Amino acid sequence: METVHKTQTFKTVDLIYSALFATLIMIGANITSFAPFLTVGGVPITLQTFFAILAGLVLGSKKGAIACTVYMAIGLAGAPVFSKFTGGFSAILLPTFGFIVTFIVSAYIAGKIAETYKTRLAYIIAALIAMAINYILGTTWMYFAYTLWAAAPEGFSYKLAWFWMIPPMPKDIILAIFAGFFAFRIQKVLKILPIKQS
Amino acid sequence: MEKMIFGRYIPGNSFVHKLDPRSKLLFVFAFIIVVFFANNTLTYGILLAFTLIVILLSKIRLYFLINGLKPVIFLMLFTLILHLFMTREGPVLVDLGFMKIYEEGLRQGVYISMRFLMLVFMTSILTLTTSPISITDGLEVLLNPFKKIKLPVHELALMMSISLRFIPTLMDETDKIMKAQMARGSDLSAGPIKDRLKAVVPLLVPLFISAFKRAEDLATAMEVRGYRGGEGRTKYRLLKWHAKDTIILVALVIMAILLWMLRG
Repeated sequence: METVHKTQTFKTVDLIYSALFATLIMIGANITSFAPFLTVGGVPITLQTFFAILAGLVLGSKKGAIACTVYMAIGLAGAPVFSKFTGGFSAILLPTFGFIVTFIVSAYIAGKIAETYKTRLAYIIAALIAMAINYILGTTWMYFAYTLWAAAPEGFSYKLAWFWMIPPMPKDIILAIFAGFFAFRIQKVLKILPIKQS
Repeated sequence: MEKMIFGRYIPGNSFVHKLDPRSKLLFVFAFIIVVFFANNTLTYGILLAFTLIVILLSKIRLYFLINGLKPVIFLMLFTLILHLFMTREGPVLVDLGFMKIYEEGLRQGVYISMRFLMLVFMTSILTLTTSPISITDGLEVLLNPFKKIKLPVHELALMMSISLRFIPTLMDETDKIMKAQMARGSDLSAGPIKDRLKAVVPLLVPLFISAFKRAEDLATAMEVRGYRGGEGRTKYRLLKWHAKDTIILVALVIMAILLWMLRG
C-alpha cells in the first residue's frame, strides 16, 4: 500500500481515508437518528464539531483539513450531510455556515498540535483549542453573514452574535475534552499518527 | 437509502435539468453577485421576474422550493422585523405609540427579504435539478485552472465521489453496530450527559475501525486496478456544452447590465 506513483500527489490510501472521514462527519452530524439516547432534554446533541476535530486528531493536519473540505463540498453539492440531513447549495446562505467552513481550520490546527506533541494531554488541549477556534471564527462569520445578507442595521452588534453562542458552550467544552480522549484511544488502534504513551 | 445518495436532487427532464452542470454552477455563482446590484423597485422587479422564469423552466414543484426555505425562514423574518423597527427614515406609516414603523424601514425590510428569497430559490434550484455527482463533475472541470496553484482538483473531486458513494454504506453500518450493541444489552437509555457520552464509545469505536478497514481495502482495490492519480485518466461520465448553456449565461449577463444601468 506504500506505492506512490510519480504522477500522484497523494497516496491512494490517504485519499480514501479523507473521503471516508468526510462521510463519518455526516454520521456524526446526525448521530441522534441512529442513537436516540443522545437527545438530552429535548435537544439533540450533534457530534458534527466533535467529528471534525477528530478528523484533525486522527488523520493529521493535512488529511484532516481535506476531509472537512470534502464534507463541506458534498454538502454544498446537495448531499444531505449537514445536521438534520440538510444539504444543498443554499446552505451557503445560512449564517451558521461559517462553522462548517471553520472545521477546515480547526481540524488543521488540531492535527498540527497532535503531530507535534503526540501525548494524550496534547490531544485534549488540541481539541479544546480547535473548539475555541471554531467558536471564534464561526461566530465572526455569523456576524458578517447577518450584516451582508440581512443588511442588519446598527441594532445588531457583534456582542449580540456572541450572546447567542453562550448556551451551547458548556456542552461543547465537555465534547472537546471527550474528543481528545477518544481520538487518542482510536489512534492507538489505527496508528495513523505516531503517539507517545505517558 | 436512494434518497441519501441523491440528496435533494429530483430527477426530471426540464430545460434546467438538461443544462450542463458547469453552466449551472457559473450561473448561480454569478447570480449571487448580481442580486446585490438591485436597489430600487424596478431592479428588484426585474430580478424577481427573472427568478420566476427560471423556476418555471425548471418545472420544480413549488412544494420543494418552499421546503428549501424552512432553514432560512427564521433569518428572513428576523431581517424583516429588524428593518421594520430599526430603520427610522421617511414618513411614519404606522404609529403604535411605543413604536413607529417608517416607510423606509418597510421598503428596506421587503427588499432585503426578497433578495434572500431569490438567493434561496436559485441556489435550491441548482441542487434540486443537478445530482451531487454531476455537480462534482462540473466542479472538477471549472476548478481545473487552479491546478496551477497546486490545488488538488482531481483528488478533491474523486474524494467527493467516494464520500458520496459511502454515505448509505456507512449509515447501514452505524445502524447495524447500534443494533448489535443493543442486542448485547448495553444500556443506552438515560443518565446524565457524561454517561450518555460514555455509551457512544462502543458505537463509535467499531464504526471507526470498520470505516478505516474499508478504506484500506478500497485503496488496495484501486491500486490493483492501476489507479495512479489524475494524469491521463479518462472519464465515464462526459459533460457536453450545448447552445442553451451559452444562452442562459448570456441572458444573465444582459440582465446584470440592465440592472446596473437602472439601479438608483
